[in-house]
This record gives sequence, C-alpha cells and structure tokens, in this order.
Amino acid sequence: MKNIVIGQYIPGKGLFYRMDPRTKIISVITLMIAIFLLGSIPQLLVAFSVCAVMMWVGNIPVKRVIRGMKPLIILLLFTFFFQIFFNKEGKLLLDEVMHVTVVSVLGIVLWTIIWRLLARIGKFKTVLLLAYIMGIFVLFRFLPFGYSFTTFRFAIYEKGIEMSIFVIIRLVIIISLSTVLTLTTKPTDLTQGLESLMRPLKIIGIRSEDFALIISISLRYIPTILDEAFKIMAAQASRGADFAEGKLKDKVKQVISLLVPMFIIAFKRSEDLADAMESRNFVPGKPRTRIHELRFGWTDIGVGVFTLAALALTIVLKVIG
Amino acid sequence: MAIHFQHVSYQYPSGSYQFYQAINDISLSIPSQGEMIAIVGQTGSGKSTLAQHMNALLFPSSGSVDIFGSTIRQKRDKKISYNHLRKHVGLVFQFPEYQLFEETVQKDIMFGPMNFKISAADAAELAQKAIVQVGLDETYLKRNPFNLSGGEKKRVSIAGILALDPDILVLDEPTSGLDPKGKSQMMELFTAIQKQTDKTIIIITHDMDLVYRYMDRVIVMHEGRLIRDESPDRLFHRKNLAELHLDYPETISVLAAIKAQFSLDIDIYQKDMDAALVELRRAVGK
Amino acid sequence: MSYIEVKDLSFSYTGKRMILKDISLSIEKGEWVAILGHNGSGKSTLAKAMVGLLEPNQGTIAYDGVVLTNDTAYDIRKKVGIVFQNPDNQFVGVTVRDDIAFGMENLMVPQKQMLEMIDFYSEKVGMKDFLDKEPSTLSGGQKQRVAIAGILAMQTQVIIFDEATSMLDPYARRDLIEYIQKLNQEGITVIMITHDINEAMYANRLVILKDGTIFSDGDKWSLFKQPEIFENSHLELPFSLKLAAALDDSLPEEKAVKDFLWQSISNT
Repeated sequence: MKNIVIGQYIPGKGLFYRMDPRTKIISVITLMIAIFLLGSIPQLLVAFSVCAVMMWVGNIPVKRVIRGMKPLIILLLFTFFFQIFFNKEGKLLLDEVMHVTVVSVLGIVLWTIIWRLLARIGKFKTVLLLAYIMGIFVLFRFLPFGYSFTTFRFAIYEKGIEMSIFVIIRLVIIISLSTVLTLTTKPTDLTQGLESLMRPLKIIGIRSEDFALIISISLRYIPTILDEAFKIMAAQASRGADFAEGKLKDKVKQVISLLVPMFIIAFKRSEDLADAMESRNFVPGKPRTRIHELRFGWTDIGVGVFTLAALALTIVLKVIG
Repeated sequence: MAIHFQHVSYQYPSGSYQFYQAINDISLSIPSQGEMIAIVGQTGSGKSTLAQHMNALLFPSSGSVDIFGSTIRQKRDKKISYNHLRKHVGLVFQFPEYQLFEETVQKDIMFGPMNFKISAADAAELAQKAIVQVGLDETYLKRNPFNLSGGEKKRVSIAGILALDPDILVLDEPTSGLDPKGKSQMMELFTAIQKQTDKTIIIITHDMDLVYRYMDRVIVMHEGRLIRDESPDRLFHRKNLAELHLDYPETISVLAAIKAQFSLDIDIYQKDMDAALVELRRAVGK
Repeated sequence: MSYIEVKDLSFSYTGKRMILKDISLSIEKGEWVAILGHNGSGKSTLAKAMVGLLEPNQGTIAYDGVVLTNDTAYDIRKKVGIVFQNPDNQFVGVTVRDDIAFGMENLMVPQKQMLEMIDFYSEKVGMKDFLDKEPSTLSGGQKQRVAIAGILAMQTQVIIFDEATSMLDPYARRDLIEYIQKLNQEGITVIMITHDINEAMYANRLVILKDGTIFSDGDKWSLFKQPEIFENSHLELPFSLKLAAALDDSLPEEKAVKDFLWQSISNT
C-alpha cells in the first residue's frame, strides 16, 4: 500500500497559484525554448539565478523541486558521462591507460559488493552511485596487476567538461520549470488549460473537450481502481496466490488472476458510468458550459510580459553571439 | 486457541492515502472449532481491517497475532512465507467479482487448492465437493462464472475458499445485496456447513436479525476498538445500542413496543416468528 | 392521463427471454411508488427503460404526454433523473462541486447560475462543507446525496432510485430514505426500486414485479393485508406485519395487539 499522489500538485498560495493554467503552460514552453537558445555557461548561470529568484518569489518549496529531479538522476548522470567520454574537442586534460586485469576485475567485484552493502543503509544513494562509478575508473587505473584481458584509453578533453556542465545546468533549469508548473497547478486545471489551448486543433478533427473529459474521469477513478486492485490482490492472496511470494512460474497465473477481475469490474464500471452520464444528459460532441472558467488576471499579464522579454533577450543574444 | 490477537493496532502513517480503517489495541481469541461468530459495527469501524489480520493479509502496526502457531508482528518478514496460513483461515471477500477469473466454475474453485500444490485431479475432486457444499449442483462446474446470478456468484466464491478446507471460515458481508430469500438460504448454508464440519465461521454483517438468530458470539467494533465480545443474547439485553449505531433485532424491538403499549408481562427476547407468537399469546392470554 | 404513463412495455436483451412483459403503469405527480421485486424480477431493467437508457421492444413510456424516444430523451431527462445502486460508478466529477455541476454543464447552464445552484442544492442535501472533497474521501451515503443534488440542480420533477440504498449500511440507508421522504413532501415524484420492504413502507403505493410482469399494484395498506402476495413473489414482510397477520381477529386481546401493530407501521 503506497502513498498515492496523482500529479505533484501541492496546495498553496503565491504568485504561480494565482495564474491561469494556460499562461503557465505557454510560459513554461516559451522559457524552455529560450533556455535552448542560450549558448554559454555564464548565460545559463544567469538564467539559473533568474529561475531561483522566480521560485523564491513564487514561494516554491525548493525541497520539492529537488525531489522532482530524483527520478531523472540517471538521465542527468548519463548525459554528464556521455559528454565527458565522447566529446573529444578542445585541450586534452587527462589521458590515462585503463587496465582490465584479473586483479582490477576482482577489485571491481569487491567494490560492487561494498557499494550494494552501503546502499542498503538507504541514505545518500546518489552520492554512493557517483562514488561507485568513479571508483571503477580508479580501480582500472591503479590495479594493473595480474593477467590483463585488455586495456583502453580514457581521455578527458576541456570541451567535454564544459559541455557536460552546460548540459547539466540546462537540464536542471528545464526540470525546475516543469516542476514549478506541476507543483502549482491542479491536474484538472492542467487538463482544462491544455484543452483550451488545443481547441484550434478542431480544424484537423481533434476534439480537445473529449480529451479533457477522458483525462478528468481517469484522474477521478485512479484512487478507486487502485483501491480495488489491492482488494483483488488480497482476495486472491486468500486463495494462496500471494503476490509477495511465489516463484516466477506462479506469478504469471497470479497476474492473470488479478487482471481478469480488474478488467471485468472496469467494463461493468464503464457501462454504469456511461448510463449515469447519459441519464444526466451528456451527449458526446454537444457543447457544454463549464463550472471552472479560465480567466486571465494581472499576474498573467505580468508573467506573460516577463516571458516574452526573456525570449526576446535570448534571441538577441543568439543573434549577436 | 487458533487465532489470538494481542494488543493489535493498525494504522497508516499520517498523510498517506488510507484504504483500510485503523484498529486500536485489539485483543481477542478465536477457537478453531464450533463457533459462529459475528463481527458487527458501523461502516468504517474497522471490521474488515480486523478480518484481514486473521489470515496475515495485513500486518499489525503494533501488537501481534498468533495464527495456528505462527506469530505475525509488525511488517512482513520477506524471508518467511505466510501463504500457508491462508489455508488454515479462509477469507471470502464481500464481492465475488474480486476473485472470479477463470472460464469455468470448476477451474476457478480449483485455483485455490492448486496454489497449495494439490494435484489437478485432487483439486477437481475438492471442487466437486465444494460446489455441492454451497448448495449448487455439479452441472455448475462447467458453467462460466460470469454468467451466473449475483447469489450464485457469491456461492461459487465461497466454494473457492471452502475447497481449501480451512479450519476457520471468515466471510465479509456474505448476505449483502441478496434478496430476503437469498439471505436466509445463505445463512442456512453456513449453519449447515458449521454443523457438518464443526469449523468456526466468522461473519461480518450489519444484519442484527441474522446475528440474533444464527450466531453464538458477537464482536462489536466501534471506531477501531473492540468494545463488546459476548453472546448476542447478552448484547441485545443492553439498553444503549443506538450509541454504537447498532439496531435491535426486529423481534425484540416489536415485542418491546407491544410490551410497553399493553404493559404485558412478556419475555421480549425471542429469536423467531413462531417463538414470538407463542410468547405473545401466552402473555395476552393471561 | 397521468404524469407518467407506461403502456404495454416489453423488453428483452436477446430477443428470447423476456425481461419485462406487458408492463402498464400510471404514476401521478408527487406520488411515491415503490417498485418491489426479487433479484432478477426485471425491476432495474424497468428503471433504465424509464429514463431511456434501454429501448423497449414494445410499448411506450410517456412523461406529461410526451412519448420517450431517442429524439425526446434529452428533454425528458430534464424532468426525470435516476440515482443508481453503486455510489462509486456514477460519480463523474473530480470533486463534489464538479459532480453536482456535471448535469447542468450538459444543459448549458451559465457558470454564474451553476455556482448559485450548487450552493443551494449542496446545502439542501447537507454536503455544502464537502464541495472541494474528492469522492474517495466520501462515504457511500454522502456520494448518493451528491448524486441527488446533481439531479435536483437539473430541476427534475421525478427521481428514480434504482436500489440506491442497497450498498449502504443500515444507518446510512435510513438516513437517505428519510431524506427522500423530505424530497417527496416538497413535491418530487419518487419511484423507488428495491427488494427491501422496510424501505417500501415509506411509499404510498407498491408495484410488485415477479418474473418481468406486474404481479400486484396498489395502495400499500391493501397489499399488506394480503401477505400471500409477498410470499408468492419471493419477498419478505417485516416481522411486525407477519406477526400482525398471524394474530387472531376473533380474540379481543389479539385484535388489540394487531391494531396496535398496524398503527405503529402507519406512523413510520
């Protein structure tokens, strides 16, 4: 039984909560484009500071933004190392021969075991992972003993370091921007904003109202369906099909015993729901009024102007630079 | 004692989404033979949470549960298998839709036994026995469980647990959604199973008439606490059941009204129509 | 002509087994009719047909003289709403406010007016403090109240309750019935589909379905005096009525108790 958080929205007050979701969506997209137009680390650092000030002004909990980055740590690490290893431009900073030998491989096995044991403690997992990756290189470099399977060159160039830092800052800014959006906007407002923005797509036959209704009904039923899934799991566990136990072979049957009831209940539910909606005069494709109406306010104008100015500035910088 | 609760509490860390009602400091013993036990209490009083501790589906936040010699404490120990406990304590959920999934009734009933490494041939035999036990005939075995009526589905889901031959059978609101006839048939079925096999049968219910008429012992839950554990007779002799959101059985409340109206010397604690009529005639005849 | 006229209605899903056979019913404005029947008697099918969710094979349903067809269904559903059995499967909105609004949104009610109506009707069903709550935090009884508010906000005159209390516990059930009683007193026509006679006692008139046909239709007092009707249609009378029926009229003491029992029923 895990916590259920649909979306990352946390209730609160402040600048960004007062904004119309449409302004927020467009601003975030525009600012992201602007960030991509920036070409140097100093420029990005300025943008980063602006971002930090924005979050401070908007009273955004920094902890939550950092937590929002956690799932993307692998991506960040990957980009970082990718740039360091494969960018071969600029001055050569480091050039070492790596030895894949009996001793270094054994060392790495030992190192892996130590890493896994330490990881069990549960804290500083990211730092540990980084230390582990670094450690592998140290071991390859300084343990050239025993039978050697092969060797390879490990070189770091100036541009590699620069680019890896550049890319990381850019990603961090972009993730923070989107986190600000999801932290301060209810999932329902987000879908309504998207719906409203996608309305012009009607020309090519995409009905954004349907899309929004589907999303909002899904949001409404996620807790119900999860609750049900747990109950079905408990019911099947009572018949000896415990999902926390059992071999892989048994798992297949267990999954079927979970999925079939879930689907059957879901079909029944969608029938019931369709009846309930129809009986309350819902007709697909017919125009409806809305209980939540989106309205632009002064904040939206302010933020809009700021966004446009930021975009204009980056374009100017791009052209001059 | 087959199941023994010692100061069991269950709650969620604050802030997380709650599927189960909390229970608080529950101590209780359940024998493996011969008792018909009702668990009653208003919605949200923790009845289902209590029941799911009986076969180690839930693990207590504090305290311990002994189930047929295994002790269940906080948190699941990943090295220990709890699965075998479900064979001792069979739990039937309120909605048969939660468990039916095979294309025939037979296969569905066999699912449980086969999870406990019983051979297909033996499981088929158990299925045959179970379907008769729940009052359906063998022709049902070949039918698709999804084409059955609500009452029949309920019986098949009970057969799916009975086939495990549990020592204790726990049923969550087995009569809900059934019409009056279906209800009494279902209760007669449990009494028959209990008489035949001498298993302990535990039923979660809101229906006080059924409790009074069929059960030997009643456990009352209120806001997560166990506040009564006694005979139905004793419970319904109490004056303040409304505070616990419990009703009196119809026989008692009707006879009580008559007694008050006519100041009769009448024993209002009658379990069924015939007994009530005899007592009423005796009282007015004087 | 009555407000609701069901005439020779027949329905079958497959064309073979008839679920409803030649049902004819007239219901006046402001009535409270309980449609009683055992599981599988066709009562829920009748409810769905009455709001145009199922198309009958034969026969007609008319509201205020207008026959229910695909073309008239939209307008008729402004007059008649339905509350279903499963509280969870009819809650469309993400919050209570959104759910009450759903029907009005479909009727193109302007936002400002919707907000006023939501205020008014959520107060009426006692859910005003819950407007921002999500359905997963509500009890079954609360969800059913929200469903009622959503229907009332559409200005309906008739509400059909299709076993709307069967998934609630006895307290929540009584609570809801007492609320429905209030609605009926305010002029809402109530059609209550149920197999629970204790619930049907609140109605004025009982229609008993058995195997897809109307087995009995009449004033509840006249029907209660014929216990065999209920026995023959797999229904069970409440204990007090069974006891009353068993008592002997010729003995004055028993007659007195019997009269008392009858009287106490009429007080509910």
